[in-house]
Amino acid sequence: MYRLRRRVTRGAMFGILCLVAVVMLFPFLFMGLMSFRSYDQYLTGSGFSLDSWAGLLRAIPVVQQLVNSTVVTLAAVFIILAVSTMGGYAFAKLRFPGRTVILLAIIGGMMVPLQSIIIPEFVNVAQLGLINKYPGAVLVYAALGAPFATFLMTTYFRGVPTELVEASLIDGASYAQTFARVMVPLATPALVTVAVLQFIQIWDDLLIGLLFLQVPDVRTITVGLATLQSSHIIDVPVLMAGSLVSALPAVIVYLIFQRYLIAGLTMGMGK
Amino acid sequence: MTAAAAIGRAVRGRRDTGGRAGPLKAAERRAGILFSLPVILLTGAFLFLPILQTFYYSLTTWDGITASWVGLDNYRQLFSDPVFWRVLLNNAFLLASIPFAILIPLVVAFLLHQHVPGWRFFRSVYFLPTAISWVVIGMVALRVFAAEGILNTVLRILGLGAIRTDMLTNEYTAMLAVAITFIWSVFGTNTIIFITGMATLDRDFYEAARVDGAGSWAVFRYITIPLLMRFIQFAFILTVITGFTALFSLIFVMTSGGPGYGTTTLEFFVYQKAFAQGVFGYAAAIGAVLFAIVFAISLVQRRLLRSRED
Repeated sequence: MYRLRRRVTRGAMFGILCLVAVVMLFPFLFMGLMSFRSYDQYLTGSGFSLDSWAGLLRAIPVVQQLVNSTVVTLAAVFIILAVSTMGGYAFAKLRFPGRTVILLAIIGGMMVPLQSIIIPEFVNVAQLGLINKYPGAVLVYAALGAPFATFLMTTYFRGVPTELVEASLIDGASYAQTFARVMVPLATPALVTVAVLQFIQIWDDLLIGLLFLQVPDVRTITVGLATLQSSHIIDVPVLMAGSLVSALPAVIVYLIFQRYLIAGLTMGMGK
Repeated sequence: MTAAAAIGRAVRGRRDTGGRAGPLKAAERRAGILFSLPVILLTGAFLFLPILQTFYYSLTTWDGITASWVGLDNYRQLFSDPVFWRVLLNNAFLLASIPFAILIPLVVAFLLHQHVPGWRFFRSVYFLPTAISWVVIGMVALRVFAAEGILNTVLRILGLGAIRTDMLTNEYTAMLAVAITFIWSVFGTNTIIFITGMATLDRDFYEAARVDGAGSWAVFRYITIPLLMRFIQFAFILTVITGFTALFSLIFVMTSGGPGYGTTTLEFFVYQKAFAQGVFGYAAAIGAVLFAIVFAISLVQRRLLRSRED
C-alpha cells in the first residue's frame, strides 16, 4: 500500500515537472516550428517552407547585425575582464589608501538602474561623437558590467592565500609580474564565469543598442529584431526566424558553460 | 544581475596585518592604485558621472543642449501628474506578482530536490530561458496572449473556449499579461537559487521529520521553507530589482507601454519622456525617483541581512 502510494506520488511529481518543462521550452519549439513556415502555412497551421528565412534576410541585414553583436559583445566582455581582474587583485590583495571606500562605491554601482543614468549617458556619448560607432556602446556596456564583475573577482581573489602573493614577491617578482603569473592563472574559473554572464547579458540587451547604435548597419541583432517588430511587420514566421537567430548564440554559450553560470549565481550570493 | 547579499561581507573583508617594510609598502600602494585605476576611470566616467548628472539635470529644464535651473519644479510637476501615479500603480502591480515568482519556483525546486528521474535534465531546461533576451521573450509572449493566440487555442482544446481572452487590448489585463511573462522569465533563476539552497540543507532534518511521521507538505512547510529563508530573501530582492529595472525591453516589444498607460512602468516612463517627448530634465527627475526607490530597497535588504547575521 505504502509502495503504491509512493509510486503514484512520484509519478505525479514527474508529470508536473514534465508539464513545467513544456511551458519553459515552449518559446523554443514555437520559434523553431513557425520559422519554417511561410505566412500562409502559418495561418493554415501546417507545411514547411524557407520563405520566412528569405524574408528575414530581406528585412534586416542579419549577417551584418550578427557580426555587430559579436564584435560589440566580445569587446565589452574583454574590457570587463581586464578591468575587473586588475581591480579585484588590487582590492583583495593590495593595501592602498581609500580602497575600502572605492570598493564599496563600485559595488554600489551594481544597484544603479540603467534608466537612471541613460539620459546623461546618451548626451555625453553623443558629445564624444560616438553614437553609431562601436566604441560608444562598448564602453557603456563595459561600465555597466564592471561593478558586478569586480565584485566577483574581488571575492574570488580574497579566497586565494596571501602567502602565494608574498612568496612571489620574495622571489623578486614585481606586483605586476605576480598578477600576471600567479593571480590570473588561478582565476580562470572566475574569469569564465564573468565572461559567460556578461556575454549573455550584453548580447541580449536592447536599450543601449537602440540608443547608441541607431543605424541598421551598426545595430546589434537583438535591436534589429526589436525594430523589425516595431515596424509593424505582422509576418509572424519572419519574426520567429529573427527571434531564433538572435537567441541562438546566447543559448549555445549557455549550453556549453551552464555550470559556470550557476557558479556565478552562487558566488553572487556570497557562498 | 546583482548580489546584494554578500556585499557587506565582501567590503569588510579580511584585514591582514603583514609587517612589511616601508619602501615595500610604498610599492604596494603604488601598485594598488595603478591596478584599481582602470575600473575606477571606467565606472567613474560612464556610471558615476551620469548618475550625478541625472540629479543635477533633474533640477533643470534640459533638452540635451541647454539647461536652465528650475529647482524642484520637475519633482512638483511629477508628483502632481496623475500619469505618474498610474505608472507607480503598474510597478505596484508587478510587486504584487512577486510572491508567485517566488512560490512557484520554490515548489518546483522542492519537487526537483526529491531526485525524480531526469531531474538534471529538468534543471537545465528550466534555466535555459535565462539565456534568451527579453526581446525574444516578448515576441513569443505576444503570440501567446494575442486574441488569435496560443493561450486561447489551449483553452479551446481544454474545452474552456468560453473564457476566450484578449488580454493585450485592455489596460488592466495587458499588465497581467506582462506580469505573467515576468514570472515565467524569472522562474529559472529563482528555481536554481532554491535548488542550490536545498543542496546545502542537512539531510538529517528530513530523515528525522520522516521518522516522526511528517508528510511531504509538513516537511516543505516546516522544514524546507524556514531553513531556506536566506535564499528566499536573495531571490526576492533579485526579483524586485529585476521587476523595477529590467523590463524595459519586454514592455517595448510586448505593449510599448499601452494600451493607454496600462503597462508603462517607471523605467519605461523615463524612456518615453526622454526619447519620445524630449523633455530630458523631467525624465531625469523620473530617473532620480527610480534610483531612490531601488536604493531604498537595497538598503532594506542590507539591514535585513545584517540583523540575520547577528
